[in-house]
Amino acid sequence: MSLFDGNISRRHLLLGSLQGAGLLWLTGCEKLFNSLSGNETFRAVLESAEKGNRRVQRLLAGRNKLAQEFTEKDISSSFRSNGNPPPITMEYASEANRQFANWRLEVSGLVTRPASFSLDDLKTMPSRTQITRHDCVEGWSAIGKWKGVRLEEIVRNVKPTADAEYVIFRCMDTDSDGANYYESIDLVDALHPQTILAYELNDQPLPVANGAPLRLRVENQLGYKHAKYIRALEFVSSFEKIADGKGGYWEDQGYEWYAGI
Amino acid sequence: MAGQALVYRHNRVTRFTHWINAITLTILLMSGLMIFNAHPHLYWGNISEPAKAFLSVGAQTNDRSSRGYVEIFGKQINTTGFLGVQQTSGGPTERAFPSWLTVPGYFSLAGARRWHFFFAWLFTLNGLLYVAYNFAVGHLRKFFLTPNDVGKIPAMVAYYLKLRKSSPQEGEYNPLQKMAYTSVFVILTPLILLSGMAMSPQLDVAFNWLPAIFGGRQSARSIHFVLAFGFLFFTFGHLFMVVTQGLFNNMRAMITGWYKEKIAIRRVTPAATAKQA
Repeated sequence: MSLFDGNISRRHLLLGSLQGAGLLWLTGCEKLFNSLSGNETFRAVLESAEKGNRRVQRLLAGRNKLAQEFTEKDISSSFRSNGNPPPITMEYASEANRQFANWRLEVSGLVTRPASFSLDDLKTMPSRTQITRHDCVEGWSAIGKWKGVRLEEIVRNVKPTADAEYVIFRCMDTDSDGANYYESIDLVDALHPQTILAYELNDQPLPVANGAPLRLRVENQLGYKHAKYIRALEFVSSFEKIADGKGGYWEDQGYEWYAGI
Repeated sequence: MAGQALVYRHNRVTRFTHWINAITLTILLMSGLMIFNAHPHLYWGNISEPAKAFLSVGAQTNDRSSRGYVEIFGKQINTTGFLGVQQTSGGPTERAFPSWLTVPGYFSLAGARRWHFFFAWLFTLNGLLYVAYNFAVGHLRKFFLTPNDVGKIPAMVAYYLKLRKSSPQEGEYNPLQKMAYTSVFVILTPLILLSGMAMSPQLDVAFNWLPAIFGGRQSARSIHFVLAFGFLFFTFGHLFMVVTQGLFNNMRAMITGWYKEKIAIRRVTPAATAKQA
């Protein structure tokens, strides 16, 4: 005897109750998944994979292997901007009008020689140009040509102390609640050959939409690590006391600190 | 001669990893759909030029109504109520895949990524345990497709379509089963893992060729999505066979290991033995 034997009404009854049971099952599952997602202990279990991702991926990639670089013809027709709108302060607007002539990058924290750089200072330092692919956590990708100063140059300049482990990027953009964007990477990524503070996109001064005057490129990680509108760098041993303590604006909202995946 | 005998078909490791795999694939599919919802468009190549998506799930909303649609190669299909726009207690809501198909049910890209990556590890390690153990005990080759099996596929199809009386099956698995399982093992699983890995910027640094073998990172993302439905398709076929070929017997076999064999396949009867002698 097969499941589909029997008369029409029996079949309807069976299909009807299967449908009902299916709906119940689905609503039940949805509730279960939602409550598990909100459960702190369960979340910690899921988060344990982040450590594995970071360790294994870094082991495979090493410290100096390069992200693929593309050619001019691969460049996206327009480089999408995402996240917060550009900073809305009068100060930022007037600085943008003056091509950021008075803007300075402040570098402080666990360093032996705190420093401050103008945009021209950065432009006279040795530069790196790279055509790379930008991958957003949402799923889209764009290719752009970036020119900037290698973060390693800055590191060499300010000489972090032995206990410095992370670089915090303080940004000028804010979300609708007024919270400032910030990000952090560790010194392993900071010293990667392709990690640059970019001031040019596609041979033009960095547009306001893409983070003028200065943004981070950290090519082995997703877009949200690439802090825009940078005003200061801070070398720290831990980011636990900064904002919500997760190491970045999006990290504070639940995204992983390690964004290599 | 038809006989019935309980045979020990699935070893302990197979049963354990099977159920872990069932849960894992479900979570991976559902959290994957939530991740897709964050950017419900698919492209070919390295980058995502907005005008060049070959598949989009979206919604058109005006003051009066919301219409959900799937656009595939320029053709729009109305999917209101299922894809693009979902009916909720708060009215029509724009959502590519509906909440009852995603993990978590509410919109959370960060949450879905946590689920997805944890269960991706579980899927991989569980699969490795299964393969390593069953390779060691010699179970794997029982359902690996051989050139000899390929020749029997038409006969097996004919048997299922009732165009042929006897099954060409030899051993525990028939040629179609072998084909289905083997393609999951050597095509679907490696490709879905590699295309998933190709989306990781750090792994792309480690292996520059990884996105390239799929035709670029966005192609890898599209292939990953399509292959997920390959798994779903396999699972539907699998469940159909389980239900139609003896739900109780199959469930017992995958829980306790014991399967009731209805016919003695290629079993030599005493009479035949006597004749041969």
